[in-house]
Amino acid sequence: MEDLSVVVSILYQFGTNGAFLLLCALGLIVILGMMNIINLAHGELMMMGAYTASLAYQAGFPFPIAVVISFFVVGVFGAVLERLVVRRFYGRELGALVVTWGISLLLSQGTFLVLGPFLPSIPIPGGAIDVGQYSLSVYWLILIAVSAGAVLGLAWLYNRTEFGLHARATMQNAEMARALGVNTDRVYMLTFSLGAGLAGFSGALLAPTASIMPFMGQQFVAPAFITVVVGGASNVIAGAVGSSVLLSLVRTPVGFYLGAFLGLVALLLAALVIIRLMPNGVSAYFQRWSDRRSRPTV
Amino acid sequence: MSNEERNSSTKRNAEAKQSPEVDLDSGPAEGSDTKSEGLIWQGPQLRRRTFLTGSAVAATTATTASFFPGLRMARAQESGPVKMGFIEDESGNLSVYGLQKLHAAQLAVKEINEGKTLKGGANIGTGGYGPMAAYAGMSPVISKEGVGLDVVGDGGAMDSTASVFVEDDDVFVDSGDQGILGRELELVSADGQSNNALWQQLTRRLIQQDKVDVLVAGFASAEREAIRPIVDQFNQLYFYTNQYEGGVADSNTFCTGPVCEQQVIPVVQYMVEKFGPRCYTIAADYNFGQLTAAWTKAFVPLVGGEIIGEEFIPLSVSEFSQVIARIQQAKPDWVMTLLVGQNHHNYYPQAAAAGLALPMASTVNMAQGYEHKRFAPPSLNQMHNAIQYQLEVPTARNRAFVKRWMDMFPEDEYIGEMAQNTYFTVHMYAQAARLAGTTDQETVKRALELGWAIEAPEGAVFLEPGTHHCAHYIRLAVCDENHDVHFVREWPMIQAWWLQRLGVNLIRHPEYKQYVPDEDPYFSMFGMA
Repeated sequence: MEDLSVVVSILYQFGTNGAFLLLCALGLIVILGMMNIINLAHGELMMMGAYTASLAYQAGFPFPIAVVISFFVVGVFGAVLERLVVRRFYGRELGALVVTWGISLLLSQGTFLVLGPFLPSIPIPGGAIDVGQYSLSVYWLILIAVSAGAVLGLAWLYNRTEFGLHARATMQNAEMARALGVNTDRVYMLTFSLGAGLAGFSGALLAPTASIMPFMGQQFVAPAFITVVVGGASNVIAGAVGSSVLLSLVRTPVGFYLGAFLGLVALLLAALVIIRLMPNGVSAYFQRWSDRRSRPTV
Repeated sequence: MSNEERNSSTKRNAEAKQSPEVDLDSGPAEGSDTKSEGLIWQGPQLRRRTFLTGSAVAATTATTASFFPGLRMARAQESGPVKMGFIEDESGNLSVYGLQKLHAAQLAVKEINEGKTLKGGANIGTGGYGPMAAYAGMSPVISKEGVGLDVVGDGGAMDSTASVFVEDDDVFVDSGDQGILGRELELVSADGQSNNALWQQLTRRLIQQDKVDVLVAGFASAEREAIRPIVDQFNQLYFYTNQYEGGVADSNTFCTGPVCEQQVIPVVQYMVEKFGPRCYTIAADYNFGQLTAAWTKAFVPLVGGEIIGEEFIPLSVSEFSQVIARIQQAKPDWVMTLLVGQNHHNYYPQAAAAGLALPMASTVNMAQGYEHKRFAPPSLNQMHNAIQYQLEVPTARNRAFVKRWMDMFPEDEYIGEMAQNTYFTVHMYAQAARLAGTTDQETVKRALELGWAIEAPEGAVFLEPGTHHCAHYIRLAVCDENHDVHFVREWPMIQAWWLQRLGVNLIRHPEYKQYVPDEDPYFSMFGMA
């Protein structure tokens, strides 16, 4: 029984570590992975999601509704941002990097000036389940499921819908896509807006586990970039899943047996090694593997 | 005593007082000497020389001061407003604390300029209100026969224990002055933006360009250590108002917040007594967390407890499921949480949601970042913190203070311990300058080194002259499941005794360093170091 509860606890820790990385990366998968915009305002978009969810929750909406509201509010904000600023920087990666960094400063400091140093937090929904001497938070179990669901949804959207097809075409070769009648301007806007919305969505989901403060976004930025970069660009979605699984596979046992500090060291080391060994990220491996499998049928 | 009287008598006092107090001009070299020679003992020759130089310098200063007052005025720029340099983080990661401290300084400055002050003065001593006590109708009477000290009469059995609560008089009184010595006090404030490099630039600017008469600044220990060399370079009178890990022995720095020995020991003692011996420490992985954890580790064995686990958590960690599982595996009786910053605050809701319902102790959480106001109950249930101040202190003087604050800043959510420190520190500076009769920095330092008592909102605070640290009124605050705060035990005055133990006496031996627990065998003498 004792042994079993350790196993369950480690599985749970593995799940939470992975889900945390995936949730951090969700919006960035689209914006960095597909549009190749180094979006340093990613954390602030997540912060906006948390703020929207908190305000909606205080206004009396149930938490799940508040999360949905966050998705749309931040998504619309993303669309506006894309129209006004980001579109002027397509193809200029460094320009985009600097301008999104500026946006992040404006957003966090502006929030601080307007709404003050913090908002009241959202109580974590769900209780705890005891497993031997350990206990699992129900909400984190839900988060694991939701993050998996969100990634599946994203994969479906990009692989099975017309919008997905247009989006992939635009990202691969915008000129050709335009020639074939795709409104690439619209695709860019919708993609950026979707990425922003997803950042808001995961910010809202993580809000109950965090202090809701203007500078809270910073904590998500490093995990998000690590996950997406380790995942690689060949197939962003599969890459992000693969990298979050791999990274939490390394982090979980080290963190559990040797402590949080070494857990973090292990995570960063693993990221380093993976990028060194697979410069194109985890997804390049998947891609080659699936290419080999699918080639005969094509 | 009228204020004029006090001013004139103490002015003489302050000048006379200079003679035994060291060579202001010998600078840091002497201080580091003291350190390498051993902490406590110094050769007699050195002392005599120091004394002679000291008195010579003092004699010159005193003569100059009394015969050429104009000269000194020119040096200290004694016209126009008194400038108080002030740096706190008004933006960035630490702004949740910095903003409170800025408001505290603004409130105190406004009050000083309106001719108000807090009761107190040089060496008046301290008193306290509301300790935990057994009570009876009257005090017991001891028989006059023999030496047995039998209790023969009493005002009733001492069968009840309660918090004896006294509504004290308000301590907010007229200063008899407008501003400081008739000059307006002006706050020259700058935003450190939670960025150490910027802190250094701003400190240089305030000292060299604005030529401030006093500097009040610093939240994180890293910020303080970043600017202290600059402060010492210019011999700038500097107040650090934060709660911190202790050990700063610096002739130019006055630390008015509480330190480890005043907070860790009371709370550890209470926790072991109440919940049991097994303690698990989780601490922020930087100098504050490391050093406070060292204090916990050194003291827990002395009260019969044991540290069964200790973990330092990088400041970037914000997801705690693994830490929680490790704590559950170790099965402690209580957890010492020394977590700092917005990422670490997430521990509380996450631990509560994961069903980790252990009693917690801390020296920072709740009183500074008001986590109990920010997180939904019951995340902070059973949090214990030995603090000198937080908004909920129930005394009349504190209620009056909170009202004055909220009249000025109606939007504010909370007044934390650092904000209160900043508040009384600004008032204390004004009093010391009045007593010195000048804003000349060396003279004000000498006035402060008389030993200073001030009736702060927390209760009486005593600035111990030799170590430049304050004895505080410490209360054990406990948060309940509705996030209401109760005070269950009080220590009306706890000394900041560690530097005294190390033999630090800044009046006789100037120093410019920070001591760490490794330099004191105390920390490995007991238990499991």
